[in-house]
Amino acid sequence: MTQLVPHLFNGLTLGLLFALIALGFTLIVGVMEVINLAHGSLFALGAYFAYSVLGSGWAGETALAAWWAGLPIAARYTVALVIGPLLAGLAGMVLEVCLRPTYGKAPLYGLLLTFGAALVIEELIRLGWGTGERNLALPQSINGAMFLGGLIFSKYKIFAAGFAVLAILGVWVFLEKTPYGAIIKAGAHDSEMVRALGYDLSRLRLLVFGFGAALAGLAGVVMVPIWGLRPHVGIDVVIPAFLIIVLGGVGSFWGSVVAAILVGLAVGLTGAYASAWSMMSMYVLLIAVVGFRARGLFGRKSALEA
Amino acid sequence: MTTLSDISPRSGAWLTPQKLLLAAILLTAPYWLPAIGLYQYIGVEMVIWIVYAMGFNILFGYTGLHSFGHGAYLGVGAYAFGLFQHHVAVSLWGGLGAAVAAAALAGALVGLFVSHRRGIYYALMTIAFGQVFWFSAIKLHGLTGGEDGLLNIPRPGLRLGLATVDLNDNVAFFYFAAAILLVVVIGIWRLVHSPFGRVLQAIRQNETRAAFVGYEVWRFKWAAFVVSAMIAGLAGGMFAMAQESAYPDVMSLHQSGLIVMMVLVGGGLVSFWGPVLGVVLYFVARDVLGGLTETWLLWYGLMFVAMVMFRPEGLAGILASLRGAVPGGRRREIAAE
Amino acid sequence: MALFEARNLHKRFGSRVVLEDVSLAFEEGQVSGIMGPNGAGKTTCFHVLTGRYRPDRGSIRFGGTDIAGLRPQRIACMGISRSFQIMNLFDDSSVIENVLVALPEFRARRNRPFSSVFDDPDLLDAAREVLDQVGLAGRDWEPSVSLSYGDRRALEIGVALAARPRIVFLDEPTSGLGADATRNLAALIGRLRTRYTIVMIEHDMRFLFDLADTISVIHWGQVIADGTPAELAANKWVRRSALGELA
Repeated sequence: MTQLVPHLFNGLTLGLLFALIALGFTLIVGVMEVINLAHGSLFALGAYFAYSVLGSGWAGETALAAWWAGLPIAARYTVALVIGPLLAGLAGMVLEVCLRPTYGKAPLYGLLLTFGAALVIEELIRLGWGTGERNLALPQSINGAMFLGGLIFSKYKIFAAGFAVLAILGVWVFLEKTPYGAIIKAGAHDSEMVRALGYDLSRLRLLVFGFGAALAGLAGVVMVPIWGLRPHVGIDVVIPAFLIIVLGGVGSFWGSVVAAILVGLAVGLTGAYASAWSMMSMYVLLIAVVGFRARGLFGRKSALEA
Repeated sequence: MTTLSDISPRSGAWLTPQKLLLAAILLTAPYWLPAIGLYQYIGVEMVIWIVYAMGFNILFGYTGLHSFGHGAYLGVGAYAFGLFQHHVAVSLWGGLGAAVAAAALAGALVGLFVSHRRGIYYALMTIAFGQVFWFSAIKLHGLTGGEDGLLNIPRPGLRLGLATVDLNDNVAFFYFAAAILLVVVIGIWRLVHSPFGRVLQAIRQNETRAAFVGYEVWRFKWAAFVVSAMIAGLAGGMFAMAQESAYPDVMSLHQSGLIVMMVLVGGGLVSFWGPVLGVVLYFVARDVLGGLTETWLLWYGLMFVAMVMFRPEGLAGILASLRGAVPGGRRREIAAE
Repeated sequence: MALFEARNLHKRFGSRVVLEDVSLAFEEGQVSGIMGPNGAGKTTCFHVLTGRYRPDRGSIRFGGTDIAGLRPQRIACMGISRSFQIMNLFDDSSVIENVLVALPEFRARRNRPFSSVFDDPDLLDAAREVLDQVGLAGRDWEPSVSLSYGDRRALEIGVALAARPRIVFLDEPTSGLGADATRNLAALIGRLRTRYTIVMIEHDMRFLFDLADTISVIHWGQVIADGTPAELAANKWVRRSALGELA
């Protein structure tokens, strides 16, 4: 049984990070009824931006660069953790603007557009950062191994899990306790009503897309030390995100979180028995869930049913 | 915007001017391709991808089912061809037959899962299946040669009467592939103009009504999937012959996405010939633009995004409205579903 | 026995009971109406009768055969047709194609992958005959989206008729029509009634009272009254339901 603990822990960490990804994804689906196939690319973008911020290349050969490189890595990492996702959020907003001509048309077009955007972003990443594997430098305090109860744990994974929990709670506070959050939540349930109440729907969409993209980017920064940083690292992101919202319900906060943890645990457990196939377990799970459920989401008709 | 049902609703004829034109172009390709600065092998590549794209469009454009994981069936066909040559017999028709049969089987199984759905669920399921196939191709070393793929796939000779044509020569192989393309084009033309094809189009336009008018919608969607998978498999067999190898990359999401983009950009949503235009445009981008800049795929992707935003009817649609070919020259939006 | 009979239909969605012990009968050759206020269950009833929803309990018999729970495509092949309130046409197609695809002769060939469709004059003639019935003669190749609303409504009904049904269910056919178009529709139904058994849900009481032989009134998910227009006009519950006085 103790053999399983590391795998369960990995699964839990993965699940918590999936939750971050899924939250951004479900908000976008809820407000805009768009399945964002570029969500994985935004995830990757956040990580790559953080990578660049962390290094000093962005400031060229200037004195600024030298000063930045001289700062302790913990400081630079913290800044990267903030800036990376913000830049990913900006990219998300650009994507939202591109999506506008497709609103009101059949869902196919949004799907095709985000698919194309995923390719474009991946190519941009290749051009900007090359195709090789990169490494995100980490502060010593969260790097390396730790001994707990006779088992070895990765310090970073503990940090990642804890950070994800904080981030999830932060998102919850934002949605529940702030006026912006309330509008986003309302929009996720009934965008027509929000417009009727006088809020600018196009600003709301822009905001939500940016927020969702930033969450994906944040998950990216935190996840790449575990998954590696390559241009196509985002490919395995959209399917679990979709699976999670099918299981947890579109627009449902805790539904997404719980479903995400379950999916993460499923992947983690598969890792214990058939490690080469653990990522595939998500795809198989999606096929099983969507293939066999007569009505995907708790009887509630949504854009996904089209 | 024009639609597939607009363009020639009446002529299901075996021979039409466009097909004769295509035949003429294909017949003379080995001569004019080098003349415009391209190499002969590109003719082979294009023909194979056109076969793939035309089959794909039966599902994508005509039936309105959006498969983002279709590379799996091309790949299955390629591997089946290669495995047949290595383990059963070196045989042209045996290999191609195996390719089609294997892809049909794969398509039939996957089709069972996806054909009860449509829209986004459908698309994502096809992505999931595509990834499973791709991953399996990489992991099942013993069968598929893993990441390196199957190598040294021979090109069997074509037996015509008493003589055997050696297809190792790229020009000879090109003519063989072109002949197959013509047969496929004629077959698909008849198919989409047949009652079966019209039902597929009815299902695309209004699945609910099609059911209430008496059609077993699920079965037709499944059949369209299997047919398009079979044609992809045929293209895959030809691909394995052309490259003399088969590898997992063709099943990747990236590659599966390429066929979607090609078909849309070419105008597959509105025209029978859209996929042809789309493949040609892609290869022009890859080889002509690619000769000028390393970032050609980025530009192609941006063009795709721009087309989805502003001109989803693709190249064929743009040409048709320029020619005023649409009766009344009207423009309209596709009804939101 | 009536051509189409529903007995003791129950339907609930979650905890809400939408239809409770609904029994209806439609005689062959008659025009029958179903009316009731919004949310009373008449639309759900319609969907249950035409196979879109499965009743939780109860039976539906058509010509003696039990059809409850059968899928819509099976029901359509048995001679039951329906039109839709929110029009369900094949929007990329021409007028004649909309009708063509619903013809039984066409449907019989649906598995043929290589025969040509439009080269068959008999098929086209059969389609034109249907168009003629609904007043769209001569407009074969016009795109269905370019028709006026009233003509689209006619086409909507035409598609339902093309299947040569024994019974046609019309879902709020006057929906969205102006006074002229409604008159045309009434004339159309007057012509059709000699060939088809018709069942209509309607909001427009005048329309229904003028055309229907019998009407059933559904309120609170139950049939509260059933009879000829004259009988119903005298029924105080019907009057109050129709005038919106009942909750």
